[in-house]
Amino acid sequence: MVTDSDLAKHLSEAQVSVELQTEDMTLNIGPQHPSTHGVLRLVARVSGERCFDVKPVIGYMHRGYEKLSEVRTYPQITALINRIDWVSGYANEIPFIVAAEKLMDVEVPERAQYIRIILTEMARVSSHLVFMASYPLELGAATPLFFALRDRERVLDLIESVTGGRFHPNFNRIGGVKPNAGSGPITKKTPQDLPAGFLGETRDAMSVVLDTCEEIEDLVAGNEIFRARTKGIGVMPPEVGAAFGVSGPNLRASGVKFDLRKVEDYLPYDQFDFDVVVGENGDCWDRWWVRLEEIRESAKIISQAVDGIPPSGPLQAKVPKVIKVPAGETYVRAENPKGEMGYYIVSDGGPGPYRLKIRSASFSNISMLSWILEGVLVPDIIAIMGSLDFVLGDVDR
Amino acid sequence: MTSSPSDTEATVHPLQEFADSAAETVGGEAEVQFDTIKLRVSAERWVDVLTTARDDLDLVFFSWLSAIDWANEVEAGDPLKEEIEERIELLCTVGDLTEGRRVTFSTDLPTEKPSVASIVEVYVGANWHEREAAEMFGITFEGHPDPGPLYLPESFLGNPLKKSYPLLSREVKPWPGTVDVEAMPEKPSTENPSTENPEA
Amino acid sequence: MGVAQKFGVPKPVSWLLNWSRKYSLWMFQFGLACCAIEMMAASGPRYDFMRFGIIPLPASPRQADLMVVAGTVTDKMAQSVRRLYDQMPEPKYVISMGSCANCGGPYWDSYSVTKGVDQLLPVDVYVPGCPPRPEALMDGIVLLQQIIQAENIKEKWNQRDLEPV
Repeated sequence: MVTDSDLAKHLSEAQVSVELQTEDMTLNIGPQHPSTHGVLRLVARVSGERCFDVKPVIGYMHRGYEKLSEVRTYPQITALINRIDWVSGYANEIPFIVAAEKLMDVEVPERAQYIRIILTEMARVSSHLVFMASYPLELGAATPLFFALRDRERVLDLIESVTGGRFHPNFNRIGGVKPNAGSGPITKKTPQDLPAGFLGETRDAMSVVLDTCEEIEDLVAGNEIFRARTKGIGVMPPEVGAAFGVSGPNLRASGVKFDLRKVEDYLPYDQFDFDVVVGENGDCWDRWWVRLEEIRESAKIISQAVDGIPPSGPLQAKVPKVIKVPAGETYVRAENPKGEMGYYIVSDGGPGPYRLKIRSASFSNISMLSWILEGVLVPDIIAIMGSLDFVLGDVDR
Repeated sequence: MTSSPSDTEATVHPLQEFADSAAETVGGEAEVQFDTIKLRVSAERWVDVLTTARDDLDLVFFSWLSAIDWANEVEAGDPLKEEIEERIELLCTVGDLTEGRRVTFSTDLPTEKPSVASIVEVYVGANWHEREAAEMFGITFEGHPDPGPLYLPESFLGNPLKKSYPLLSREVKPWPGTVDVEAMPEKPSTENPSTENPEA
Repeated sequence: MGVAQKFGVPKPVSWLLNWSRKYSLWMFQFGLACCAIEMMAASGPRYDFMRFGIIPLPASPRQADLMVVAGTVTDKMAQSVRRLYDQMPEPKYVISMGSCANCGGPYWDSYSVTKGVDQLLPVDVYVPGCPPRPEALMDGIVLLQQIIQAENIKEKWNQRDLEPV
């Protein structure tokens, strides 16, 4: 006896009995598309609603950073590299400066280290808030965009009050940070330090950020449509991720408890108490959730840093006016909000590097797109791509 | 070559032990400089070395693969201080996911027609990195499943990251050199203690 | 409108047409790079540009009036930029935002960057900065609105390209 549910199931999976000549369609997504995070082009061969061969075409934002670094001096490169991952500007400069300081054997004063940590974690909060804003927008929810952007403005105001730039700060100098931090005219009497009230405002801003995390979690996490579109979609097993070079929140969402802040010594993170957020399944939902929790962890780090910063001290070690880095090679990597970002400097003793290799996080993160997008439905392409949280400047350098 | 200069009491770098054991396992020479382990191997054994690294040394995380063009004549930038033997040095960094160790394997290729076996079978992520190295340096990776330009448009000629590739905009309009920031008018002249040079 | 192209329109009509056009621009966001983030912030809650009548997201370039090229234009992307510009119907305006789109910017000596988007299309307003603050972009939009208000209808209508792309 045929019941209603049987009939419904049969109709939904009915094969067309007449032999239809169907062909696959090549669907070109991008390079100009509202939700590809920039100029990424996907050439997808779809058969109906299921795509079976996706090839990403990149290079539309290739600006030639590595060649440009060979003709620039170290301070000039510092001004240029925060445009690689343009959402989190400050975090791009840190591994480069630490590598140059390692080659020069310069010790950075402690107050400068704390300021670096505060600004790096603010960059992480800012980058994850952009993800919180844009990812639900791609899945159809427009409201979290405004909440996240409104509070990101507060964080950007703080970064701007110290460095002068909202997200291209150019604030690191070899040996520390820029000594004339703050605003106003520079006279001999100006204390060369952080602007007045910065630390108090940072504490307020962090409590606002934590409230925003609560709001976004209330809005988004319980929503049925969001859960249906992200749970179980785009599962990435950790071995595959490691072989591709996927790092950062994407790898941690698959269950790998690995955070470069705990392992590498580019900044004194061992003086702070924070957890490494790990997901369970490695699907889009976990990648979203890991980033939300990372905002909370970063707010914790910033509060601890603001409470523990040494009250006075120099902001930059003594370095010569014209920087010449001695010969040698080194690779320093750091935990960028997108993943592992590293710089391999080959120096010959001159004012600029002989070769600078930039290992950017998003390049490896999206090299697995053709693997992970095999056999998914067309709307899931957008969900999976958005959850990987890449930025085209980071991919193409 | 030299261990990190910050070790004044101990002359052995903390990574030296791991570096030596890694060199013994894969068969190459290790050096630790500035907290980076660099293992030199020969080009014929490139794939074997990386397979051993993945299986025996537990270095499962593929970080990056690229090259350095050591050349004496440099079109864009400063030339080297001393003359060296010209070669293309291929570098590949892999790491592990438990303790954060990382090793940079390096091998030398001839400058004319450099070619080496592809390691896509060992680490899947090397696919795009090898394509980038191929178009930037002209290296041929034998056995690569999908060669072709990655970043550059189809009509691009030349290998940009080789030292013999000039930057044409700099030849047309050369950079004026380092310029000190001048004092602003009608304000007292300020000392600029930072060491930055103004960007273009 | 053949009448406007041949004879021009009287002043009150011209004023009305310009006034209505300048306050109802539909902006095609061609956000390429970092300036796109500033453009996104300019459409966000703090520096809202919707109060000038600019609505951000048209469904396609064929429905847009204003194209804001924000970010670095590379040689590989140049063909797409030109094609999208050609798809926009007349009368159309272009704002070049940021120093990469104005003149190549910090990548002036790169081998793969187009030195300025005005090598590909005619630009009406240049907004300098790296990246320009959202207020600077709004300043550029207000300047464009002043340009539109002062336009001569006969000249503008005669510049139409009647061949579809």
